Amino acid sequence: MYLGIDAGASATKALIVDRKGKVVSYAIVPSGINFKVSSQKALEKVLKSSGLSLKEICYAVSTGYGRALVKAEAHSSEIICVSRGIHKLLPSVRTIIDVGGQDSKAIRIDEYGRVLNFAMNDKCAAGTGRFLEVMSNLIGKSINELSRLHHKSSKPIRISSTCTVFAESEVISHISQGSKIEDVIAGLHQAIAGRIFNMSSRIGFEKDVAFTGGVAKNEGFVAALSKKTGLTPLLPEEPQTVCALGAALAAIRKYEESISHAHL
Amino acid sequence: MSLPRRRSRILQTTRKIGELIMTYFSKVSDAKSKGKPVAWVTVFTPVELLYALDIYPVAPEHFGALCSARGFIVDYLEEAERCGYSESLCSYSRCSLGYVLSGMNGIMPPPDILITFRNSCDVYVKWWQSLHMHLGTPLFVGETPYVLAPEDLDNYVLDYVVKQLEQLIEMAEERFGLRFDMEKLVEVLKLSDKASELWFETLKLRRFRPCPLGGRDSASDIFPLVVMQGTEEAVSFYEELLREVKGRIGRKEGVIEDEKFRLLFDGIWIWHAFDLIKYFEDKGAVFVYEPYSEAWAYRLDASEPLESIARKILSMGLNVDIDIRIERFLENIKQYQIDGAVFFSNRSCKTWSATQLVTADILNKKVNVPYLLFEADMADPRQYSEAQIKNRIDAFIEVLSES
Ligand SMILES: Nc1ncnc2c1ncn2[C@@H]1O[C@H](COP(=O)(O)OP(=O)(O)O)[C@@H](O)[C@H]1O
Ligand code: SF4
Repeated sequence: MYLGIDAGASATKALIVDRKGKVVSYAIVPSGINFKVSSQKALEKVLKSSGLSLKEICYAVSTGYGRALVKAEAHSSEIICVSRGIHKLLPSVRTIIDVGGQDSKAIRIDEYGRVLNFAMNDKCAAGTGRFLEVMSNLIGKSINELSRLHHKSSKPIRISSTCTVFAESEVISHISQGSKIEDVIAGLHQAIAGRIFNMSSRIGFEKDVAFTGGVAKNEGFVAALSKKTGLTPLLPEEPQTVCALGAALAAIRKYEESISHAHL
Repeated sequence: MSLPRRRSRILQTTRKIGELIMTYFSKVSDAKSKGKPVAWVTVFTPVELLYALDIYPVAPEHFGALCSARGFIVDYLEEAERCGYSESLCSYSRCSLGYVLSGMNGIMPPPDILITFRNSCDVYVKWWQSLHMHLGTPLFVGETPYVLAPEDLDNYVLDYVVKQLEQLIEMAEERFGLRFDMEKLVEVLKLSDKASELWFETLKLRRFRPCPLGGRDSASDIFPLVVMQGTEEAVSFYEELLREVKGRIGRKEGVIEDEKFRLLFDGIWIWHAFDLIKYFEDKGAVFVYEPYSEAWAYRLDASEPLESIARKILSMGLNVDIDIRIERFLENIKQYQIDGAVFFSNRSCKTWSATQLVTADILNKKVNVPYLLFEADMADPRQYSEAQIKNRIDAFIEVLSES
C-alpha cells in the first residue's frame, strides 16, 4: 500500500492507494498550526478507516505547503501532484483549476499528465477559499450554507475591491443597505470566480477543464466560475483529495524505482 | 575517501565589488569635501559627461539596491511614507526620499545638482522634482523620446538630445565655474567603451556549458558600469573579471557542478532576497542570461562624442519598442541554450513589468520555453512571501525536469 499526504494550508489530506493506484481510503483533517500534528492525525484516521497498519505502507510521498515538515520518504510539489492525480481520474483533462485554502492555481497538462505551464495567485487571499471563509464568518453562514444559498439569488451584488479587507467592508455596507444575504453570497462567489478567471486566462482553457481543491465542493462557486468561463467543467468525485492522490501515485513510482535500484 | 571540497561558486573578482563600492563612495565624499560638485543622477544618464566636467555622480537607484541588500532600507521607506509618499511608488524613489527626509546620514553625500533623463520611466521626472523640492539643489531634467528602432534613429531625435547635453554642459559650467574639455571627454568615452566591450565579451562566455558566471556574479558585477563608466578602475575590474571567467572555461568549471537547467531572468534582481539565486543553483539551475545585465553596457564612438552619448541614453532597454525586446529574447534563448524563463514582476517597476505577460506568452508559444512569473518588490522586503515564492520555484524546477 502507498500513502500520499497533502499538507495544505488549511486542510491536511491523507490517501492510500493499492499497487494498481486504486484508492483504498482517505481522510481530511484541518491543518491547524502544526503540520506534524495534522499529518499524524490524518494518517491515523486513514489507517483506521482502511483497517491497515503502518507496516503495510511501503512508501509515502508528501506534498502541499507543509510537505517538508511531514514524515515521508519523499516530497513533491502540489502542481505535479494535482496533475498526476487528475490524469489518473479524468485522463481527458488538459486544464486544471485548483482552488484551495490559501492559494489557487491553473495548470495546463498534456495527454500524459505532464505539466506544460502553470499560473498561481499572488500572495493575497482574495482568490482563495480563505476569502470565502472570512466572508462566511462575517455574514454568519457556514461554508455549506454558502453553497446552498447561492442558487436562491436573483440579483448578485457587485464586489469591486480586490482586497479581502476592503471587500469585507463592502459586504457590510451592502447588508446594512438591505441586500439579501443570498445576493451577497452569489456576489462573493462571482468576485472570486472573476479573480480566478483572470489568473487562469494567462494559460488558457484548453478542454477538458477540471476544477479541483476544497473550494470545488462549493456548488455556488462552481456555478459562478462555470458561468464566467463559459465552460462545463469536469469535477472529480472528491475534488479535495486529488493532490493527495497524485502524491500516493508518486509513492508507487518512487517505490518501484528504489526497488529496481536495489537490484542493480 | 576524502570529502569532496565544495568549490566557491561566486567568482573571486565578484567578491571585490563590495570594497570597490565603498572606495567609490569615499572618493565621492573626499571630492565633495574638496569642493567638487556631486551629482545625483538616475542610471542611464551621461555619467561620462560628468566625469569629463569633474563632477562626481552617485545614483540613488544604486543606493536603494545597496540599502535593500544590506538590510537597512525599511527605515528610509517608512520615513518617506510617513511624509506622505505612497507605498505604491517605486521603492528606489521612496528610499532616497526617506534618506533625504531623515537627514542624509549615510554613505551617499548630499548632491550639488540633480540630473535625470526620462528614458527608463516617468517616475524619474517627478522623483527628481521632489528631491529638488526638498533639497533646493539645481535640477536638470532631460527628455528622451521613445525609440522604435535604436539602430535607425531619426536625426531630429538625436539633435534634440544632443542639444540637451549641450544645455547640461552650459548649466554646469555656469553654476560651478567649470570648463568643459572635449579632449577629456574623448578620453573618458574611450575608457567607458572599453569597459562595455569587456563586459559584453564576458557575458558572451556564459554561452559555454557549464556556464562560468552566474546570476549572483552578473548582479554584482554591473556596478562599475552604473556610475563608474569612463574610469580606469572600471576597465581594470572588467579585465580581471574576463581573465577569471576565461580561466574557468579553460578548466570547464561552471557556477554549479551539475548544471541541469539554464535559465533566463527577466527583471531587476530582488536585492533583499539575493539568496533566491542560490536557491535555484542548489537545484541545478543557473542563470545564464538577463536583459538587466546587458542593459548597462553600450559601445561608444569617441569620434562623435555627444552623438554617441545621446544614442546611449536613447537606446536604454526600457525606452525601446517591445517587439525589438522580444526579438532579442528569442535570439538569446537560442544563443544561450535556455531551458526556462523566470519573470520577476516587480511591484515597483511598472515600466518593466507591464510587458512581461505578453512576452512570456510569446516565448512559451514560439519556442516552447516554460516560464515562472512571480511578484515581489526589488527593494522593499515588506511585500515578500518567501515560502510562497520558494514553493513556486520548486514546482517550476519539477516542470523543467519533466520537459
Ligand atoms: N464542502 C465544502 N464546501 C465548500 N468549501 C469547502 C468544502 N470543504 C472544504 N472547503 C474549502 O476548501 C478550502 C480548503 O481546500 P484544500 O484544497 O484542502 O486547500 P489547501 O490544500 O490549501 O489546504 C477551505 O477554504 C474550505 O473552506
Ligand atoms: S520605476 Fe523602474 S525604471 Fe523607474 S526608477 Fe523605479 S525601478 Fe527604475
